[in-house]
Amino acid sequence: MKFSDLIRLVINNLNRRKARVGLTAIGVVIGTGAVVILVSLAIGLQMNANEQLYGIGDLSQIYVMPAYGGEMFIAGPGMGGGGGGGGGEVDQDIKLLTNDAVQELRSIPGVTAAIPRDYMYAMTFITYRKLQGYSGVYGVGTNDLADFGYEAQQGTTALTRSTVVIGYMVAQNFMDPNLRPGQEIPPPPDLYDQQIQMTLLKYDDQGNEIRKNYSLRVAGILAESGSEADFSMYLPLELVKSMNEWSSGTRINYNKTGYNEVIVRVENADKTLEVRDQIIAMGFQANTMLDFVQGINNFYSILQVVLGGVGAIALLVAAIGIANTMAMSILERTREIGLMKAVGATNRDVLSLFLGEAAGIGFIGGLGGALVGWLLGQMLNVVAVVYLAQQAASQGGIPPSVAVYTPLWLPIFVLAFSTFIGMLSGLYPALRAANMIPVMALKYE
Amino acid sequence: MTSPLIQVSGLKRHYEMGGTLVRALDGVDLEIAAHTFTVVMGPSGSGKSSLLYLLGGLDRPTAGEITVNGERLDQMDENALALFRRKTMGFIFQSFNLVASMSALENVAFPMQFAGVPPSQRNEKSKTLLGQVGLADRSHHKPSELSGGQQQRVAVARALVNDPMLIFADEPTGNLDSQSGVTVMQMLSDLHKSGRTVLVVTHDPRMTRFATNKIFLLDGKVVSEAEYQSATLEPLLGNVGG
Ligand SMILES: Nc1ncnc2c1ncn2[C@@H]1O[C@H](COP(=O)(O)OP(=O)(O)OP(=O)(O)O)[C@@H](O)[C@H]1O
Ligand SMILES: [Mg+2]
Repeated sequence: MKFSDLIRLVINNLNRRKARVGLTAIGVVIGTGAVVILVSLAIGLQMNANEQLYGIGDLSQIYVMPAYGGEMFIAGPGMGGGGGGGGGEVDQDIKLLTNDAVQELRSIPGVTAAIPRDYMYAMTFITYRKLQGYSGVYGVGTNDLADFGYEAQQGTTALTRSTVVIGYMVAQNFMDPNLRPGQEIPPPPDLYDQQIQMTLLKYDDQGNEIRKNYSLRVAGILAESGSEADFSMYLPLELVKSMNEWSSGTRINYNKTGYNEVIVRVENADKTLEVRDQIIAMGFQANTMLDFVQGINNFYSILQVVLGGVGAIALLVAAIGIANTMAMSILERTREIGLMKAVGATNRDVLSLFLGEAAGIGFIGGLGGALVGWLLGQMLNVVAVVYLAQQAASQGGIPPSVAVYTPLWLPIFVLAFSTFIGMLSGLYPALRAANMIPVMALKYE
Repeated sequence: MTSPLIQVSGLKRHYEMGGTLVRALDGVDLEIAAHTFTVVMGPSGSGKSSLLYLLGGLDRPTAGEITVNGERLDQMDENALALFRRKTMGFIFQSFNLVASMSALENVAFPMQFAGVPPSQRNEKSKTLLGQVGLADRSHHKPSELSGGQQQRVAVARALVNDPMLIFADEPTGNLDSQSGVTVMQMLSDLHKSGRTVLVVTHDPRMTRFATNKIFLLDGKVVSEAEYQSATLEPLLGNVGG
């Protein structure tokens, strides 16, 4: 039997039982529609989360620290105080981030840079005219922040002893301390090319306050990165070291105490995990945002499977419907099957025909389900995006661009899957039809 | 002498029914020559239909050999049987067995789909055959829109569509009024005259007029005409006598 004839016959046979085929297909529409919409929702949520996560840290950066007694340090503002550049007692067994170690890190294949970084932990006031600012201050062992992949929105990324490069959001953290409650907050200052004052404080034995002032010109403002850099100020490592030495009153020798932190850049994010593992094998602690992002992605992958599974249960019910419809139909058409065999249809012809009909129901249902699921998803999108954007507007944050996202592969997959399910459900009835003894089928009442 | 078209020896067909054995056919030997018109006669339950379906390869014998056109049907697998039926046999049934959702034309063309005949050729041939059975103007009617006699003529056309050398008919006139019955008999006779071998199971004594060959069945066995006459007439005569 030719394939074209088979298809024609399948269509004719489905066509002559429209009502029943239609009702059975509705079951499939519900099942496949549920799969499409639920998986689309999971994908939409994931995209949303990724949008929010994007730039949470350059994914090709690895934060390397000495493996302090199992304590985990998450890189970011607020850390750094712990280890202390001048910190005296360090466990003997711990491998320190000395210059040799930094050199070792640089020699790992795929590593493009290994840059020490230290946190300025002196008590500090940062002021610009009447405004007081708050910001993390980092010293970095490079004279150009471009080594971190940072780009300047204004000015330069290069560092000198008399200038500072600040993050995108730093200006917003400059406020007038004399502002009365209720008074309108003035817009953030434009700090570019302005002098800001950094005043360090310490107390002597008698409790007298000692101040030291640094006047720094803002030589560059970094482009928004969505990471900690947005809220940080960058100085040369030597300057921060001397600030910390002044504050603690002890000399710091990085070669003896090791750096607190080294930031390793990898040539591309594909290599991040591999390099991180190598660094851990060297005896350091190494963290990357990729772990975090991957964890979240794994969560959403599981969510997709779970939601898809919920839809699949509906599809299973539909499959039973198809099996039932086919079994009924084969019972009703027993004599027709006998006739087909009498006029020369092979068992395979009969099997193909009934499998084709079952697959056809799955296909029709899948087509409807893919369409319905997609349309519902689009409708939900319009409603949800408007709602979420309002939320974002009132609470701050990045408004989501999608809530439900249906990638092209999903309806195609669902269509193929429902056709396959249809065929599978029809397998047993079709086999029974194919193996009927012709004379029994012909005599069937 | 050329060997006969159909040769049967030691043919048995037994059915198990609730513990009792029904011997529908119990040791049948017969030969049917090519280009004959054979009528199988026998009382109800004597095994006529069983014999016809076995010869047509639609059923499997319990024992015995069936040779058709030099090939052993009892040794063929399902697929080979299907292909054999397709090219050598046409069937006509008492209850027509037309597909209700198909027009007369589609019903006639139906077997050609499985034979892989191209659509245009199918259409052509079906039209010609419907014309030959006098139903050219009914080709788009559904079976429900045709009389019994017309439906059986559609079935005759369908049986001819693959140009079979053998035509099997199981009580083709059983559901027809006498006039339609005669028309169908005439058609079968014409098929015989055109060189086909025809085998008809029937209760209708008028069919014997067209027959070149008669087979009598009694309780699953082939008997002579004389035996058959006495066996079927005796109870009647006995009744008359009593
Ligand atoms: N599928 C079956 N299962 C059990 N017994 C059967 C089956 N088919 C036929 N028989 C029995 O076999 C015997 C012969 O049946 P068959 O149909 O060949 O008779 P027949 O000569 O064609 O009768 P009729 O003239 O009434 O059609 C009968 O006794 C019947 O009951
Ligand atoms: Mg019979």
